[in-house]
Amino acid sequence: MTYPTLTVITFLPLVGAAGILFLGRGQRARWIALATTLATLAAMAPLCSGFVKTESGLQFVDLAPWISIGNMQIDYQLGVDGISLPFIVLSGLLTLLCVGASWTAIRTREREFYAALLVAETAMIGLFAASNFFLFFIFWELMVVPLFLLIGVWGGSNRVYAAVKFLLFTLAGSVLMLVGMIALQVANPEAGLNFKQLAGTTLGTTAQTWLFLAFLAAFAVKVPMFPVHTWLPDAHTEAPTAGSVILAGILLKMGAYGFLRVALPVLPQAVQIFLMPMLVISVVAIIYGAYVTLAQTDVKRLIAYSSISHMGFVTLGIFTLNQTAVEGAILQMINHGIISAALFLCVGMIYERTHTREIKDYGGIGKTAPIYATLLALFCLAAAGFPGLNSFVGEFLIIGGAFKTKAWLGALAIWGVVLGTTYLIWLYYRMVMGELNTGLQGLKIELNAREILTLAPLALLALYLGLYPECVLSYLHTPVSELQNIIATP
Amino acid sequence: MTPVSITDLALLIPELILVGMALALLLGASRIQTATLATVGTVLAALVAALTAGWLMLEPPRLGFSGMFTVDGYSQFFKVLIASALALTTLLSVKRVDSESVRPAEYHALLLLASTGMMLAVSSLDLITLYLGLELTTLCSYVLVGIMVDRPNSNEAAIKYFLLGSFASALFLYGIALIYGATGTTDFEAITAILSKSGPGMDSLFMVGASLLAAGLAFKIAAVPFHAWAPDAYEGAHAPVAAYLATASKAAGLAALGRVCWAIFKTPGNELLPEVSMVLAGLAVLSIVVGSVVALAQTNIKRLLAYSSIAHAGYALLGFISGTAAGTEATMTYAYFYVFMTLGAFGVVIALEDRGETLEGYQGLAVERPKTAALMLLFLLSLTGIPPTAGFVAKFVVILSVVQEGYYALAILAVVCSVITAFVYLRVAVMMYMKEPESTALPDPDNDPSSRLPLAVSAALAVAALVTLIGGIFPGILTSWAVAP
Repeated sequence: MTYPTLTVITFLPLVGAAGILFLGRGQRARWIALATTLATLAAMAPLCSGFVKTESGLQFVDLAPWISIGNMQIDYQLGVDGISLPFIVLSGLLTLLCVGASWTAIRTREREFYAALLVAETAMIGLFAASNFFLFFIFWELMVVPLFLLIGVWGGSNRVYAAVKFLLFTLAGSVLMLVGMIALQVANPEAGLNFKQLAGTTLGTTAQTWLFLAFLAAFAVKVPMFPVHTWLPDAHTEAPTAGSVILAGILLKMGAYGFLRVALPVLPQAVQIFLMPMLVISVVAIIYGAYVTLAQTDVKRLIAYSSISHMGFVTLGIFTLNQTAVEGAILQMINHGIISAALFLCVGMIYERTHTREIKDYGGIGKTAPIYATLLALFCLAAAGFPGLNSFVGEFLIIGGAFKTKAWLGALAIWGVVLGTTYLIWLYYRMVMGELNTGLQGLKIELNAREILTLAPLALLALYLGLYPECVLSYLHTPVSELQNIIATP
Repeated sequence: MTPVSITDLALLIPELILVGMALALLLGASRIQTATLATVGTVLAALVAALTAGWLMLEPPRLGFSGMFTVDGYSQFFKVLIASALALTTLLSVKRVDSESVRPAEYHALLLLASTGMMLAVSSLDLITLYLGLELTTLCSYVLVGIMVDRPNSNEAAIKYFLLGSFASALFLYGIALIYGATGTTDFEAITAILSKSGPGMDSLFMVGASLLAAGLAFKIAAVPFHAWAPDAYEGAHAPVAAYLATASKAAGLAALGRVCWAIFKTPGNELLPEVSMVLAGLAVLSIVVGSVVALAQTNIKRLLAYSSIAHAGYALLGFISGTAAGTEATMTYAYFYVFMTLGAFGVVIALEDRGETLEGYQGLAVERPKTAALMLLFLLSLTGIPPTAGFVAKFVVILSVVQEGYYALAILAVVCSVITAFVYLRVAVMMYMKEPESTALPDPDNDPSSRLPLAVSAALAVAALVTLIGGIFPGILTSWAVAP
C-alpha cells in the first residue's frame, strides 16, 4: 500500500482538533493548533513536488470502497488535478496564518476555537481533494458547522444574527444541491457520483436545466453572486479575523470551484442556455458590489463588499468559457484568496489595538506605523489590480476573455476595475494618510514580529504571482483544456 | 387449527425473555425498592432479547402459529432496534426513577411488556395479532405516561393520551372488522389472494376498512393529522418515557405500517396500490410541513422534540411511498438512525434534569458543561441531517427513494422543510454556544461534581453518539441489515 498523501493531509487537522479537545487546556490549544497546521503544510510538500503538470486526469489518487446501500456504490476517492492543487495549498497556508492572527486575539474558549478552525481546515482540503460528488457534498456541509461556531461564538456584537443568517443561506442552497446530486445518482447509478464518470452522463436538456438551477442555488450562495450575497457582509463583518480570512479566502472559492467541477463538465447544455444570464449577473455583481463598497464606513464591511465585486470577476471569467479567461478566473480565485485574507488580517490586527472598525476613527497611521502602512499599501494596490501585483494578471485575462465574448461585458468589467481602484485608494487615503487621528494618539499601532511574520507570506505571494503568474497558470493549462473539450463536445 | 408446537415457541424467544423478566420483576415488586436491580435486569433482558432476535435473523424466514406470526429479516431488524431502544431507555431512566418516587419494578415491567407488544406487532401476519401487539404496547404506554402519580401534568397527559389512543384503537379495530366483512379473513396472505381475484375495481367496504386501519397506524407513529396527542403526552410524561414513545413506539408503528402496505395493499402486479401511495404521500407531506413549522414556535424542549419527531415520521414515510424494496429499506435505515439520534437528544435532556426541559435552560451550556453541549450539538446536527452524521445518511436514502420514482416535488419539499427544522435545532445550538451562562460564577467544567453524569446515562449517551457518528461515516456497517421483506 502506498503512502496516502491526500488522506493524511485531509485528516491531519482533524486529528489535531481531537488532540486539542482532549489535551488542549488553556494556552496549550494554540500550540497544538500551530503544530498541526505546520505539519499539514509540510505534508503538502510531496504533493507539490511530485505533481506532474502535463499529465491529464487525477494524481495522488486514494481509492477505497466506502458505501454500498442497496444498488448504490460510492467509493472513498481523493485526488488532485491542476485546478484543485493550488486551493489545497492555499487552504493549508491560510489556516496556518489564521492561527498566527488569533494568537492573542482569541482569549475565550481557546480550545473550542482552535478545534473548530482545524475542523474547517479538514473540510476545506477535503472539499478540494474530493473526486466524487458525495464526498464533495459531505465536506461542503461539514465546512458550515465550524464556521457557524466561529462567527457565532467569537464574533462581534451582532454575531448571532450573522451566524444564523450565514447558516440558513448556505443550507438553503445546499439542500437543493442535495436533491440535484441524488437526481444525478438516479440518472447514472453506475458512476457512483464520481465526477469523471458523471461527465459522461447523457441527460436531456430539460433535466440539465433543472439540475443547473439546483446547483446554481448552492454555488451562487457560496460565491456569492448577486442577489443572494446578502449574508456575506454580515458574516464577514461579525466574524473574528480568522473566520473572515477563512470565509473570504476559501469559502467563497468553493462556489466557483463547484461550477468548474460539477456544473460545467456535467451539464454542458444547460451552461450554454444560462450563459448570458450568468454573465450579466456577474457584471451586475462587479458594478453593484463596487458602488456599494464605495458607500461603506466600516473597514471590514468595505472589504466584505469588495469581495462581491471581485468574485463577480471570477464568475465572469468562468462563464466566458474560453481557455484564457477560465484560467484567469482560477488564478483570480487564488489571488483574491491571498489578498482578501491579507486585508482582513490587516484590519484584524489594527482592530485588536483600537477596537474600532469605523474608517473615520482612523487616519494618519502611516506616521506611527510605517511597516503596517507599507504592507497595507501593497495589499490595497494588489486588490486594485496594480500591474506587477497578482490581481492584475487575473483581471487582465478575464477582461480579455470578456471582450472576446461581448465587448460591452469587457467595458463594464473595466468600469468595475476603475471603481475598485477608487474605493481602495480612498480607503488607504482615509486610514493611512494625513494627520494622526486624535483618538489614536498614544496607541502603539506598529505591528509586532509575529504579525509581520503572519503577513509576510501573503505579501511575498502577491509579489511573486504578480511577476511570475505562470507558476499557478502552468498547473491550469492541462485541466482547463480538458474542461474545454468536455464543454465543446456535448 | 393446529396446536401450538415447541418450534412455534422457539420463534418467540426474544418476546418470552422480555415477558419472563417482566413477570419476575412483578413477582419481586415488593422487595425491589431501588432502581438498580430492576435496571440491571431489564437491560440484561433487552440485550439478550436483541441478541436472540439478531440470531434468528440469520436463519431463513419462518412462519409459526398457523401463519399468523413470521420471523424474517424485516421483523428481526425492528426487534433488535426495539430491544436496543429499550436498553438505552432503561439506562437513561436510572436517575429519574429514583428521584421521582416511581416504583422501579412496575416501571420496568411496563417498559418490558410494551416492548413485547411492539415485537409481536412487527412479526404479525394477521390483523388480529397485529392489533393485540399494538394494544399491549399502548396500554402499557398509557400507564407509563402517567407513572409520576403525584404530578398533575403527568396525569393530564396520560388521560389525553388515553382518550385519543383508545379512539384510534377503536378505529383500527373497526377497520379490521370491515376488512373481515369484505374478505372473510384477517390473514394477510388470504386477503391479498382475495383482492387479486377481485381485480383492481375494489370493494368500497374494503377501502373504508383499509383507511381506518391506516388511520390507526398513523396515530401510532404520530403522523399529521393524527399527531395531536404527541406533544402533550411527551411534555407531561417523564423524559425517558417520552424518549421511548418517540423512538421505539414510532419504529414499531412504522414497521407495522410497512408490513401492512407490503403484504395487503398490493396490485396484482405486486406493486403498491396507487391510492395507498397517495395517502402515504399526503401523510408524509403534512407531517413534514406541520412538524417543522410548528416546532419553530416551541420553547419547551420536549414539545420541540415532539414536533420534530412528527416531522421525522413524515421523512420516514417517504420511503414507503414508492412501494419498492429499496424504498422500504430506506425507511428501515431512517427508523434505525432516527431511534439513536432521538434517544441521544432526549438523553441530554434527561442528563440536564429540570434545566433540560426548557430552551432557556440551555443558555451557556457550552461553557458550563462542554461535553454535554458537544453531544447535544452532535445529535442536533444529526437530526438536521448535516453530514457526516447518521441523520444525513438517513435523509439521503429516503430522498433517493422518492427521486428514484420521479417524485421530485416531494424531494424538494422535504429538503426545504429540512432548512426550517435546521432553524429549530439551531435555536438550541445558539442558546448553548452563543449565549453567556446566567450564573456569573463559572464552575470549572472538568472538576465540577454537579456536571458528572451517572454512569448509566453516560453509557447510553456514548452508545447513541457512537451510532450517530459511525452511521454517518460508515453507514454500510449498520444498514446492511436493513432488508425489505
